[in-house]
Amino acid sequence: MDMSKISLKNVTLQYTDNNTAYTAIKDVSFHVGEGEFISIIGPSGCGKSTLLSLFAGLNFPTDGNILIDGKEVTGTGTDRGVVFQHYSLFPWMTAKKNMVFGIKQVLKDKSRKEIDAIADEYLELVGLKDFKDKYPSQLSGGMQQRVAIARALAMNPGVLLMDEPFGAIDAKNRVVLQELLLKLWEGGSQKKTVIFITHDIDEAILLSDRIIVMTAGPGTVKKEIKVPFKRPRDRSSLVRSAEYSELRNKLISLFYDDLLQKIGGEEVVL
Amino acid sequence: MKRWLGITNVLFILVTITALLPSAKNSSQSEYTIGLLLFIELIYIAVLLFEKNKEKVETHGDVTAIIYVILFLWELFTAKLNLLDVHLYPAPGEIVKLFLLEIPEMIKGFISSIQLLAGGYILALVTAIPLALFIGWRKRLYKVVKPLTKVLGPIPPIVYIPYAIAILPTFKAASVFVIFIGAFWPIFINTLNGVFNIDRRLIDSAKALNVKERSMLLEVILPGTLPAIFSGATIGLVLSFILLTAAEMIGATSGIGWYVKYFSDFADYSKVIVGIIFIGIVVTGITFFLERIEHYLLRWRK
Repeated sequence: MDMSKISLKNVTLQYTDNNTAYTAIKDVSFHVGEGEFISIIGPSGCGKSTLLSLFAGLNFPTDGNILIDGKEVTGTGTDRGVVFQHYSLFPWMTAKKNMVFGIKQVLKDKSRKEIDAIADEYLELVGLKDFKDKYPSQLSGGMQQRVAIARALAMNPGVLLMDEPFGAIDAKNRVVLQELLLKLWEGGSQKKTVIFITHDIDEAILLSDRIIVMTAGPGTVKKEIKVPFKRPRDRSSLVRSAEYSELRNKLISLFYDDLLQKIGGEEVVL
Repeated sequence: MKRWLGITNVLFILVTITALLPSAKNSSQSEYTIGLLLFIELIYIAVLLFEKNKEKVETHGDVTAIIYVILFLWELFTAKLNLLDVHLYPAPGEIVKLFLLEIPEMIKGFISSIQLLAGGYILALVTAIPLALFIGWRKRLYKVVKPLTKVLGPIPPIVYIPYAIAILPTFKAASVFVIFIGAFWPIFINTLNGVFNIDRRLIDSAKALNVKERSMLLEVILPGTLPAIFSGATIGLVLSFILLTAAEMIGATSGIGWYVKYFSDFADYSKVIVGIIFIGIVVTGITFFLERIEHYLLRWRK
């Protein structure tokens, strides 16, 4: 009996475009344990975002299967919360309305007042209580992602799927958001299982229990690496440690290996 | 001090002096021209005094200046120099006086017209928007309907008028029908394209929240399509107005389009001009009203 929260078995995704078949993801298998924080890193085109859409149930594998809590994914569901890089929030709803809209999809029977209270609570948790009546266009990119995270958490899913959520945020605010995410994740009464897509190696090390490195053309898992650091992690002391550098270098070489090979193997016109 | 001596106020003085000069004929009613000038100037002064936004003051001043130039030339060539045919080109004062006298008559016409317009236009809104939302959302339906819109959409709705009058029992029903057709296509096509062009990522985001279809259509697709709906609604409104006046000129016995047509049959061009100005005011008013609604409903945009 498979006890993992999420398991992928030989997942392959093909699609045809102009009568040509493409393989976006090929034969990907791995497991994610309950409450585990997993990062998936890889170059663009390695299918990492496509993989996330499979977890979310927005897309389906052509071969193999994905099980969550032992059940095959057949569509979207409120057992999974998703935060995208862009457009997680609806631009015509205020921060608060965005929260309420999400929460009421889960808590259908709760009164308007109770839903309001939950929305306020989570907005306060991400420090945006005073911005609840602002529209997304009036918020900075970082604030928008905070609302998106707050909404995903307020819906209280078992699994949190994050598709490069901080990819468009400037370096300084990214650090703030990473810390906030860790705090919320570690502080939760029951730790959520997180799948976090990123191309930022430091981000992956700092946040995850395990890192899955993917490679492109077609997208496959190149390596799974355990992150050995204890939690809570202190960023500044961590980045100075030798173990950190070692892990980082290893990831960098994995990350850029095939990229360099590719450049070496082909004629590159610059 | 400087702002009071801008080009606009200099023109005001120039055109007022021109109006005060003796006219070539007695019927020119230059005192009404002066009345109009004072009215425009009072608005301008109010803007100068109370509007804080410099750019807005400037634009208002420029527009006012252009109106003064037109009034100056108009007054000069008609009332003062009498160079133009008095019958075809009445002096501005005559038009102002006649306009004031004709207000009750034109309001009657307006009430008659607005019923036809509102009937056809609102009917178009309440059918085109839900239909387009639903069809746009169903990919298979969309693919069937899209080519249909390409054939039916571009037919100038004016060609339906004679047929509509023939097949429908009353002129009123025929007008409402033609206005409906005219407004329907731009609203329908714009909404349809709006649904189709809505950002996939927003749809995915809504799907990821496990939103049910009803909620998807009403709370995601509809507001997401609203900018496109408004551009369709604006085009639809303009077309409705054209069709309204056209229909009234063909077969009505009341209304603002009828008013213009009726008096041009009698060669009473002063009333024709008054009617045209009144139509201009009405169209501006209605478009302004629609713009306010759009501004409010799309306040979430940057």
